[in-house]
Amino acid sequence: MSPTSEQRLPEREESLWMLTVSPTIWAGHFLASYVTAAVWCAKVQDSSSSLWPARIAIAIYTVTALIGIVVTGWIGLQRARVEPDAVQDFQDTPLGRHRFLGFATLLLSVLSGVATLFVAAVILFMETCE
Amino acid sequence: MSARNDNPTRDDAAPSPERQREQEERLLAAWKTPTGLRYWSAVNNSEVGMWYTAASCLFFLFGGILALLMRVQLAVPGNDFLTADRYNQIFTMHGSVMMFLFAVPIFEAFSIMVLPEMLGARDLPFPRLSAYGFYSFVIGGIFVCGSVFFDAAPKGGWFMYPPLTTSYQPGIGADIWLLGLSFIEVASIAAAVELIVGVLKCRPPGMRIHLIPLYSWYILVVAGMILFAFPPLIAGDILLEMERAFDWPFFDPSRGGDPVLWQHLFWIFGHPEVYIVFLPSVALMAMIVPTFARTPIVGYSWVVLAAVGTGFLSFGLWVHHMFTVGLPGVTIGLFSAASQAVAIPTGVQLFCFLATLLAGRVINSVPIMFTFAGLATFIIGGLTGVMVAVAPFDFQAHDTYFVVGHLHYVLVGGTIFPIVAGAYYYFPLITGKKLSDRLGRIAFWLLLIGFNITFLPMHWTGLTGMPRRVFTYPANAGYDLLNMVSTVGAFLLAAGFVVVVWDIVRPKGNQPYSERNPWNAGTLEWLAEMPDRPWGIRSIPIIESRYPLWDQSDFARDVDEGRFYLPDAEEGLRETLVTSVIDARPMQCLRVPGPTFLTFWSAAFTGGMFIFATYHWWWPAILSGLAALATILRWLWTGTAWIPEKDEKDVGLGVTLPIYVSGPQAVGWWAMFITMLADMTAFIALVFGYFFYWTIHEDFPPEPYPGPGALWPSCGAVLLMSAWGLTVFAKRWNRDDRAGAFYAAATSAVVACLAGGAALVQGPLAAGLDPTTHVYPAIVWVLIGWTALHVALGILMLLYCMARRFAGKMTARHDADITNVTLYWHFLALTVVITVGVIVGFPLVA
Amino acid sequence: MGGVLLMLGGCAGEQSALDPAGRGAEQIAALFWWMLGGAVVIWCIVVGLAIYAIRIAPGPHDDRQMRLWVIGGGAVIPTLVLTVLLIYGLSMLPGLVRAAPEGSLQVDVVGLQWWWQVRYPASESVKLANEIRIPVGEPVQFNLTSADVIHSFWIPALGGKVDMVPGRETRLTLEPTRTGRFRGVCAEYCGASHALMAFDVVVMERAAFDEWLAAQQEPAKEPQGPLEVRGREVFLRRGCGACHAVRGTRADGVVGPDLTHVGSRASLGAGTLENSPDAFRKWIAHTSRTKPAVRMPDFDMIPEADLRALAAYLESLQ
Repeated sequence: MSPTSEQRLPEREESLWMLTVSPTIWAGHFLASYVTAAVWCAKVQDSSSSLWPARIAIAIYTVTALIGIVVTGWIGLQRARVEPDAVQDFQDTPLGRHRFLGFATLLLSVLSGVATLFVAAVILFMETCE
Repeated sequence: MSARNDNPTRDDAAPSPERQREQEERLLAAWKTPTGLRYWSAVNNSEVGMWYTAASCLFFLFGGILALLMRVQLAVPGNDFLTADRYNQIFTMHGSVMMFLFAVPIFEAFSIMVLPEMLGARDLPFPRLSAYGFYSFVIGGIFVCGSVFFDAAPKGGWFMYPPLTTSYQPGIGADIWLLGLSFIEVASIAAAVELIVGVLKCRPPGMRIHLIPLYSWYILVVAGMILFAFPPLIAGDILLEMERAFDWPFFDPSRGGDPVLWQHLFWIFGHPEVYIVFLPSVALMAMIVPTFARTPIVGYSWVVLAAVGTGFLSFGLWVHHMFTVGLPGVTIGLFSAASQAVAIPTGVQLFCFLATLLAGRVINSVPIMFTFAGLATFIIGGLTGVMVAVAPFDFQAHDTYFVVGHLHYVLVGGTIFPIVAGAYYYFPLITGKKLSDRLGRIAFWLLLIGFNITFLPMHWTGLTGMPRRVFTYPANAGYDLLNMVSTVGAFLLAAGFVVVVWDIVRPKGNQPYSERNPWNAGTLEWLAEMPDRPWGIRSIPIIESRYPLWDQSDFARDVDEGRFYLPDAEEGLRETLVTSVIDARPMQCLRVPGPTFLTFWSAAFTGGMFIFATYHWWWPAILSGLAALATILRWLWTGTAWIPEKDEKDVGLGVTLPIYVSGPQAVGWWAMFITMLADMTAFIALVFGYFFYWTIHEDFPPEPYPGPGALWPSCGAVLLMSAWGLTVFAKRWNRDDRAGAFYAAATSAVVACLAGGAALVQGPLAAGLDPTTHVYPAIVWVLIGWTALHVALGILMLLYCMARRFAGKMTARHDADITNVTLYWHFLALTVVITVGVIVGFPLVA
Repeated sequence: MGGVLLMLGGCAGEQSALDPAGRGAEQIAALFWWMLGGAVVIWCIVVGLAIYAIRIAPGPHDDRQMRLWVIGGGAVIPTLVLTVLLIYGLSMLPGLVRAAPEGSLQVDVVGLQWWWQVRYPASESVKLANEIRIPVGEPVQFNLTSADVIHSFWIPALGGKVDMVPGRETRLTLEPTRTGRFRGVCAEYCGASHALMAFDVVVMERAAFDEWLAAQQEPAKEPQGPLEVRGREVFLRRGCGACHAVRGTRADGVVGPDLTHVGSRASLGAGTLENSPDAFRKWIAHTSRTKPAVRMPDFDMIPEADLRALAAYLESLQ
């Protein structure tokens, strides 16, 4: 390993916050979907009428959220694949740490993506505020 | 590998035996545990953690006895062993004790005890805070439990749904629950702050973020969850107690309130709570499994994924406790979907353990047997959990014995069995002696069989129609036999616990001490000597592996001979290392305070405030509160932000570190930041209440209630924002050593605060908003009151800083006090903006 | 409390979600059996693997292969299984929460500590307590409210439950698929006698139902025998009418259950006692012992002879 690759990975570039980006996007998507549906049904429409506008809004949230999650996951993947043969991710080097954080970011992005799709699936089935 | 490491390695030359002995003597003197009555003034993590663990185990036994009483009552239909009223008190207390006095505290207690050992730290960063939390917990716990013996216990269920607990249950039972447990919740948050800072900042040098023991990952996640989960419940407690004590109608539909708001706030806490209880036990499994499989964990990153992922997803599940409230189907669907998604990370964790077991050569022993029992039963709880997450099935299963069965499979399988495994595993670490293998195996079979006989039939009991929380049931409804079987099983289960308790308390005087690292584990805590020495660790090592005891050669010898950091206590003070968050580079030599009774008195007076308030004895409550404030101030004054005799210290291996640090590098700053996150969460929960009421009312503010007006709240906001600005300047001028400017700014800030707080209160006062008439004035007053209370605290902090500077305890260089107060003020400014924005701004736009 | 409570005996199955007699309950029971089957298979595989690892082959296995276990067994397969389950559950959901079609039978139920007031909005005079009769084979909409605390309305054999929340009106649609007698209970903890808050559900053919509803609209029968006449006199003299109504008499209380046809009901005290003259006597004289904390006071001062007459009168209110 060259010293330059070490220098590319200083600690200040890296923080634990990267791990939380995708789950936070999931949480934001979930909360936005819930609040949109709840406010729509409670304040805007009476209970028998259509949920269409809320469903469209949730679909838009979903696409936006998935883009964010995919980008985060891709960044994670790039970090996890830095010099894949040079070092294993449990080794005691900044590169090991870098790859670990990247891989964990990737995994959390996949989980968040699946969870976002699960939540979004609801609008395929629920057509009214009932 | 060491060449690439940016840390130095150990000292190649050990200090001479002579010098080693001197070092040991000094370390022993600094870390000496007080004796006699002063023993109870100890604040070191090993003492406090042990008391804390023992106390929560006693509460567990108490909760277990309550459960047996219930099972006796339900053994046969139409039984009159307990009256309805008694039974309702007992089931309420069983749930509350197990959740609030056992499940959450045991994890915090246990972590306080072993986390520093795992991280090679001498103590946690705020030992006195742990002691304060412990005494608060014991006082609050005894108060709440004691009510059972006076027939005055709460009887609203551990979920305390209003309006049953507001208008339909006179007496002090519900107040005991609300105030007693709020007190304990505050202690829980304090412990969470301590644990987060401990994991992030008090690791040994070289223990990078991907090398930390999995237990620490879980603790980090769980403590973070506590920060965001407990405050909504505290907000709910405030609302419910305000309704009970002062008739503010938050949950009274006849005056615009809504009982469903409580359910939201309770379950925003209540569902993450399940994972707060469950994840630490998984963390224990994550330590035990690799040890007995004799191999590193398979899929470390995957386990971290599962811990972090579960932590997040668990906040999107709360409505699945409310599927039958009659909410819109789309809401039910959203929460049903999230509830199923959370099963994915749980499955990943379990398969990592299975894969580790397969990858290694498993040594059979009591801890691994209980881990297996935990896995086998928890999986059933997880599978039934997925079932009830499917909303249509929950429509049937909700509030029946099916759920009683399900939750006990989760909590006993996922929590209790791993805790017993942990007890057998870690007992030598605590006492130096092993528990009995024979008794452990007897207990294993009794617990496993007794547990399944008790709880497996309950699934059928529930689906054949038996609701929960019934003190009796009719004969021949189809579940007489099932109930009898459950009762028999419960006694078998209890017998198993008796065996475990006996194994723990039986005299072990003749038993020799265990050898060091008896299980041949790889993680740092097993460096402890048998019996352990009070200093925690002889010298703080450099870590190069996830399993240093397996991978680093001569590791124990080097630690014992003091070849690593801080092998000495030259000044006779208690010291430990603070390192950086990601790569654990040494940053500071942290001096932690020693024994004191101040924490006990602070807790006693805080407890007095809550307990007197339960009886509506307002004056004693206020006096006790003031006494608590005085003792806490004294504690801060004498025990924090000491100005050291020198700026830097040689911690060994040629590394010199600062002793006094302020700002984002300091643990105190982190503690303030984390505490304020929790504080903001409680505040946001109250704001959520405002918007919740907005959604259920046609007009909000409703006719004929006027808003608080724009004038006074806006004046208040302007004044308070200028106080914030002045505080920021005070901090800057203090750092520039301009004493006059500092005092002037701080004094003006205090004046602006007083005026701003008064203006804020004047808003609803001038508009004549009476909080007992309708929920609108009530929620406005709560937001104003919350802000005003924080303004008062802000004033107190500014005065404190001025006094510190005046007394020479704060200087331009040593400015931790004003730095942390400024951080508080950033959050206070946000609180003010949101409060005024909501009560003045929102009605204009909505 | 002296002696074991004499409680109403039920019949196994009357209250079982696994012995469905309604469309919703049938769907949910089928869902349950599928999930149970899947759960058993999953449990056997996972626990079998653990036993294999610990006891049968505690030798080291290949690390790479283990990673596949984590990815496949821990992540991919659960995700697929959960996706199928999610779709199954979601597709069932709208049908269960939907309102009954326009023109369906409406039943208003109010939950009170600790009994149920039942009204049929189409037949205004009918006021029942703790008994619901509905026709078979058609959707029925229950409009649920509470007069005090939160209750939950649950007839396990017919379908899921819905809470009764003060200040809100909730709704439950059930569609019985066979006639019979079933038992409903309160599922949300609602105070001291939560355990004693049940009701009887009778599913009838449409014609029989119409006949029954017409009979319920009639005022109370005049007492026939001398005992019954005396009973009515006791009823009115003792002030029972302050809380209870008997249409056709001057008793018009609204606090307690309407007793106009109380003799025709299957049980007393919200499913606590089987309806019989003895049960009436026990209920009236030892109310709080039969049902803790109930709002009706004990009338144990009524002489035995009067009590017998009162019980006979109430029993005659068919």
